[in-house]
Amino acid sequence: MKLSAHYNRSNIIITVSVLLAGAVIYYFAINYIIQKQLDRDLTEEMEEIVSYVASHHKFPVQPDIDEEQVTIKETSLTNFKTVFFNVPFKKVINDDDDNNGRAVEMLVSVNEKNYLLTIAISRDGTEYLVQVIATITLILMAGLFLVLFLTNRYVSHDLWKPFFYLLQQLKAFSVSDHTNFSYSKTNVDEFNELEAAVLLMSSRVRKDYRTLKQFTENASHEMMTPLSVITSKLDILIQDDSLNPEHYKQLQDIYGATSRLSRLNQSLLLLVKIENNLIDEAELLELQQLVFEKKEQFQELITSKHIIVTATITQKTITASGHLLDILFNNLFSNAIRHNIDSGVINISLTDEKFLIQNTGSLYPLNEEELFERFQKGKKSEGTGLGLALVKSICNVYNWDVSYSFISSLHTFQISFAPGKESLLTFNAI
Amino acid sequence: MKILIVEDEQSLRENITTYLNSDGNVCESSADLENAILKLEDYAYDCVLLDLGLPDGEGFKVLNFLKEQMRDEAVLIISAKNSLEDKIKGLNTGADDYLIKPFHLAELKARVEAVFRRKAANGNNNLVFNEITINLQGRTVEINGKPIVLTRKEYDMLLYFIANKGKVISKNAIATHLWGDEMDMNDNFYFLYTHIKNLRKKMLDANCKDYLKSIYGIGYKFLSE
Repeated sequence: MKLSAHYNRSNIIITVSVLLAGAVIYYFAINYIIQKQLDRDLTEEMEEIVSYVASHHKFPVQPDIDEEQVTIKETSLTNFKTVFFNVPFKKVINDDDDNNGRAVEMLVSVNEKNYLLTIAISRDGTEYLVQVIATITLILMAGLFLVLFLTNRYVSHDLWKPFFYLLQQLKAFSVSDHTNFSYSKTNVDEFNELEAAVLLMSSRVRKDYRTLKQFTENASHEMMTPLSVITSKLDILIQDDSLNPEHYKQLQDIYGATSRLSRLNQSLLLLVKIENNLIDEAELLELQQLVFEKKEQFQELITSKHIIVTATITQKTITASGHLLDILFNNLFSNAIRHNIDSGVINISLTDEKFLIQNTGSLYPLNEEELFERFQKGKKSEGTGLGLALVKSICNVYNWDVSYSFISSLHTFQISFAPGKESLLTFNAI
Repeated sequence: MKILIVEDEQSLRENITTYLNSDGNVCESSADLENAILKLEDYAYDCVLLDLGLPDGEGFKVLNFLKEQMRDEAVLIISAKNSLEDKIKGLNTGADDYLIKPFHLAELKARVEAVFRRKAANGNNNLVFNEITINLQGRTVEINGKPIVLTRKEYDMLLYFIANKGKVISKNAIATHLWGDEMDMNDNFYFLYTHIKNLRKKMLDANCKDYLKSIYGIGYKFLSE
């Protein structure tokens, strides 16, 4: 719900309840005043009759005023307190239409006889008043609704314009491009403040991003230079004729560790780059071509382990970084081969929706939760432990979904190119 | 060959000089941009090894200088930055090759020779080493005038060995040359052994001298005589 709608709703609730409460109080107040007035009228009438009786020793003839109805009844009561009360009032005798009336009853004694005298008058006037009050309240409420609706529709739309303009720019914001925010001229203090804050934030974010990019590059440079010094020192050192086989063995171990360190460093930096979206190169790639090339690249390894590869590949074009996809497939293929058994099987399948690679290997399923974490690797693995973390990061860049499952003794890695669409399909199938 | 090495890391500079000099090359070196440009103004070189991250600026300035002066030095960039942007920028500004640190000196030597050969080819596309003649354009090899058939990897390896003749080359360096450094080394050493065995057999069958010597535990050496 929009903010203005929220605001309007509470506004309407408060106004309507205040109006209703006001109407009720108003009604009772007027009722009370009118009743007081009627009672005063009745008292006056009563006094007139009493004084008439006192001077004439008889009741006056039926009153000349038609609004009053006077009844006189003989009674045996000697003591009666004067009371006021509401009665049904008939304008004409035998009238079916009952109106409300107000009456007074009192004891009058004429010629040593006690009479019960009742004077009643109509309350029509007050009824009418209540109707008028109710009508006015209703009209006021309707008017209020209309005004709030129109305000919401036209005035607030204009009022919120700078906000939506800013929102639109925020949605299109990207740390890597350099388009600046443009101001919308507004005299609303809150929006001006918001704009200033957004501008400050965006410039800070961009600055941080640049610093990070620089840090990544510097870290790479700073670590690679010592590594290349070590490598070149080793390359020079092995030229020495006086080295014996024991030395060579030690040197070979240093070579191995150095190359592993440099691979680890490369992978880590790549991971940081991917996770910070520092790689935004993209090209149109023929995926089936890429898969085929990878299969060729790993052919030696595949042959040496006597692995049988079956591939069902359909054409699929994709827009992505060739460099990243190369790393992605390198990791998936080399894992499928490295963790395979001798004379094992690899199944590759590429369709429009997904890429699937299955391999034989350990008889037990792997722990899917830990599998894609950094530095998770099998006990016998010679890798950096970053391979699948890289695979996952690369998939995240393109919003692909990568998952592991153990299907009929095959370790299966699946990449869904459109995870949302696929889940919809499964849903429909159910 | 006269080579200028522009690299700020002193020990790396010295190692490159030592490795390249032993083959009869003349190496001069410079630790920063200013000095490199001064040297290039005064002398002509066959090849320039250029680090991009220098204390007084980016190595691209050297490339721009060479381009403006229309010089024909071959330029090989050696950079710690493994970024596609820099690679493309470097190659577009006139560099001939781009080598990412850390690298093996053997790889550097092979690249320098390849870059130099390309520049100084002048129609002569044959690389001759004693009885071995390699046609670089056709990628064919003749030994004592008779052609021998080599696989792609064997051919690459032979070129690599001849560029580094007389040097001990580590298994790591050869494996990285053939497969890149993304693959597991231990797997590759086994294939390397097979490839070298096959190459050596093919050469011996063609009555070639046995140049390939195995250096126990560390690598191979291609004799220079």
